[in-house]
Amino acid sequence: MNRVSKQGYRFNRRALGAVFLAGFVVSPVQAHDPIFSIGPHVVYKGGIEIAPEVETSKKGNERETGLGLELTYGLTGDWAAGIDLPYRFSKEGSDDASGVSDVSLFTKYRFWRHDTLGAQETAAVLAKVKFASGDENKTPPVGTGSTDAILGLTYGYESRKWYRWASVRYRRNGENDDRLRRGDKLLVDLVGGIRPKPTGYLEPDTVWLLELNGEYGRRAEFRGSNLPDTGGTELFLSPGIFWTYRYFAVKAGVQVPVASNLHGSQDNSDYRARLILEWHL
Amino acid sequence: MKKVLAVMMLSMLWSAATFAAGTEYRMRVDGLACPYCAYGIEKKLKAIEGVGKIDVDLNAGLVVVDVAEGVALTEPQMKTLFQDAGFTYRSMTEKSLDGGAKNE
Repeated sequence: MNRVSKQGYRFNRRALGAVFLAGFVVSPVQAHDPIFSIGPHVVYKGGIEIAPEVETSKKGNERETGLGLELTYGLTGDWAAGIDLPYRFSKEGSDDASGVSDVSLFTKYRFWRHDTLGAQETAAVLAKVKFASGDENKTPPVGTGSTDAILGLTYGYESRKWYRWASVRYRRNGENDDRLRRGDKLLVDLVGGIRPKPTGYLEPDTVWLLELNGEYGRRAEFRGSNLPDTGGTELFLSPGIFWTYRYFAVKAGVQVPVASNLHGSQDNSDYRARLILEWHL
Repeated sequence: MKKVLAVMMLSMLWSAATFAAGTEYRMRVDGLACPYCAYGIEKKLKAIEGVGKIDVDLNAGLVVVDVAEGVALTEPQMKTLFQDAGFTYRSMTEKSLDGGAKNE
């Protein structure tokens, strides 16, 4: 292999790594929101939410694990904003790398709320911007090298017994310095939840969830040309749990692929998992 | 050690006497579905000086608050407080903690 083609080979591996990076389209999760989808919950005015989390995914011979710290502040009773600080461990074949990944800023505004006895029905919009702060030059990369934006719309109903949510998100990906642009993504989610035993105010509380997460990704582009083995549709069924006590919550879930139609030759997702701890201060 | 115990006893007696002459407010609130989300109400109420015991009955949509003598909670204040906590305030009744009804 001559020098030029070696560089090309290295670039292609790095570029493709960036394409596949961020299989997670993680959005801020607040209070009783779904684990993988978004929900309309907003922390109370003046409240601070601290949420360290760990997430992991496997797709063929690629494995990614991310640690994150999400900090959210309640600007009003219906409007919150925050920052997501991720650290990522990536493994692809025999290569592995780790480092600070792409930092995001996000905001959520609950524009509609209908409260009744023991129940709340709400809708919110969400915006998130992910910056190119992670290192994209590692192999595999831990940052995407692009600035991306996510817009979301979400509806939720919670009662003493039942929960339901529906949401849609669109992620517009930017171009990195090499003019690689990961494909935009459309995500649609339907979620149901049940509290088997409605507990009192000072008691530990458990809610079980089942999410149906659909993802449609467009093909990535490299210098204006589509990359054939990128993008496509995946559908996940995702059982999850919230366990809360007073101002502390544990949330966990696993995304299991149930259907996929990926473009070209690509490995299907094997699984994704997420564990979040959360404190309200 | 005896002095510390005496101060603690006096403090507890003073506190009990103050709240015994205080007021219990019972507030009807809509949107109370889960204990975790209702914590914001407790946090906001505790920021008011003179607020003592707080209890939340999620099934009945009731928030019960004891306040010390001389402290009064008003409707506009509670409307704002619950709005900021993400819930809807509906109504409020109060009674004296020494037994007499003030506003049922």
